[in-house]
Amino acid sequence: MNTLTIAWMALPFFAGFTIFILPQLDRYLVSFTAVASAVFAVKVFLMDSPLALQLLDSAGVTLLIDQLSGYFILTNALVTAAVILYCLQTGKSSFFYAQMIILHGSLNAAFICTDFMSLYVALEVSGIGASLLVSYPRTDRSIWVALRYLFVSNIAMLFYLVGAVLVYKAHHSFSFEGLRGAPPEALALIFMALLTKAGIFVSGLWLPLTHSESETPVSALLSGIVVKAGAFPLVRCALIVEEVSPIVQLFGVGTAILGVSYGFFEKDTKRLLAFSTVSQLGWIISAPAVAGFYALTHGLVKSSLFLIAGNLPSRDFNTLQTKPMNTALWIPLVVASLSISGFPLLAGFEAKMLTLKDLLSWQSIPMNLAAVGTVICFSKLMFLPHGNAQPKQLPHLGFWLAIGLLLGGLIFANAVHYELYTVANILKSIGIVAVGAVIYLAGIQRWVFNLPRMFEEFEQLTGVMTLVAVLLFWLAWSWR
Amino acid sequence: MLEAFVVATILCGFFGILFKKNLLMKIFSMDIMSTGVIAYYVFVASRGGFVSPIVDANGAEKVAYADPVPQAVILTAIVIGFSIQALMLVGVMKLSRDNPTLEITEIEKNNTP
Repeated sequence: MNTLTIAWMALPFFAGFTIFILPQLDRYLVSFTAVASAVFAVKVFLMDSPLALQLLDSAGVTLLIDQLSGYFILTNALVTAAVILYCLQTGKSSFFYAQMIILHGSLNAAFICTDFMSLYVALEVSGIGASLLVSYPRTDRSIWVALRYLFVSNIAMLFYLVGAVLVYKAHHSFSFEGLRGAPPEALALIFMALLTKAGIFVSGLWLPLTHSESETPVSALLSGIVVKAGAFPLVRCALIVEEVSPIVQLFGVGTAILGVSYGFFEKDTKRLLAFSTVSQLGWIISAPAVAGFYALTHGLVKSSLFLIAGNLPSRDFNTLQTKPMNTALWIPLVVASLSISGFPLLAGFEAKMLTLKDLLSWQSIPMNLAAVGTVICFSKLMFLPHGNAQPKQLPHLGFWLAIGLLLGGLIFANAVHYELYTVANILKSIGIVAVGAVIYLAGIQRWVFNLPRMFEEFEQLTGVMTLVAVLLFWLAWSWR
Repeated sequence: MLEAFVVATILCGFFGILFKKNLLMKIFSMDIMSTGVIAYYVFVASRGGFVSPIVDANGAEKVAYADPVPQAVILTAIVIGFSIQALMLVGVMKLSRDNPTLEITEIEKNNTP
């Protein structure tokens, strides 16, 4: 298993660089790599005990592969495979595929490492890869969005480096366990960087613009998996060092509420989905013990929603209200929306129930409210008019294959926690969906005002970073 | 004392990112900040009275040597920082065609929906 792990970790990078030399192999190499990752994830699930690797000696790289990493790796493999299927007929250049697979590899690395230095390298590579994908169309706007993303993430990572060396100073090791005896400023800097990178809470407000202004497949990739590279280390730290778990869970609740509250006011499909990503990341980190399954269901559902939203006749809700979409597009849209709202028979239900069961007592009321909020946001999509009024050309075959893979994954994932299908749980989830839908139809539907986008400006983003760092420092100081 | 200077360098860079209006100046400020961070790693590793961790041809002699790990890992960070810097400057070059002043408020106004 050790050799296999290292070979699997190196494969995407090898594939990526081979594509630059032999561009005609691009599609085969990326498909092979995505399948290899999926196979590896299945192998991880079949392992009896977690695998811990220490490469070189005490100062070397430490890796930990367990069920939690397995879920994230599987999400990565499925989302990448779906995006590849989607891109096959869109005439993307080899450069695009090479960047995509290098991004895939760096995310895989982030999902198994347990020391701050390897994580730093993995996150920086994923940042560079993601920003190159965002700037692929090479328009002014895409270059600016990519530059802004790279800038924000690099500033955060510089603070992270300072935090990492403070951990090293305390323990002479970069491993995650070092957070335990480290000074509070180390925790504040590292967590601030990870929160920013993952797009969580107010430091994550770079996310809506980046995710909504990217091309459809890139948005799917970013929301489906790239942001989880920042959330995963938070979850891992919360599991390894239990003292920091309340801090992570607090931010989870905060961002779950923040995301949906922004979502209420959105008039644009892609921005609504991006804000929903902010909120769902809160769900992932609010119950670290069951984060893996939630990340899997969210990755599948969000990338399918972005792929569908990219093929709707318009991005604007007002236009979509007057211009019915094709029913063939509406059906997967409703299935995905119901899954993210936690409706039974789809994996989102199990994920939501699992998370709600695993919460601390003070978390349950705000998280249930956030669940209703999610339904309200997605009612905007579910209640859109549909029909075959104007025979519009349907998306290409690759789109249907990608959607089939993602939504099929959602249905198959139901088998994982089937014991959650109790009468009480089913009634509760249907109740949440019903309440959300009624609130939407009664009021939210007619809201017309927009929230200001002031906090998404570049300078506000950097300023907010310091505020989050101060908040974290205070939390770490008072809870240690 | 030395630590204070290093932290001051990091903060100078960060304030530059916050307060400079020009995108190019912001990127240079980021470079100053990253110089500060690198210096901090060197600072953490350095201690008086220790020698460089180099073994000579006669074999290892038991001497107290300075910790090589922070300096070794910061090399990676230097390379990554420099490549990100290069990538960002290419982006700025492209943006400067339509926004010759490179003022961040103007670029933001022109490029957000």
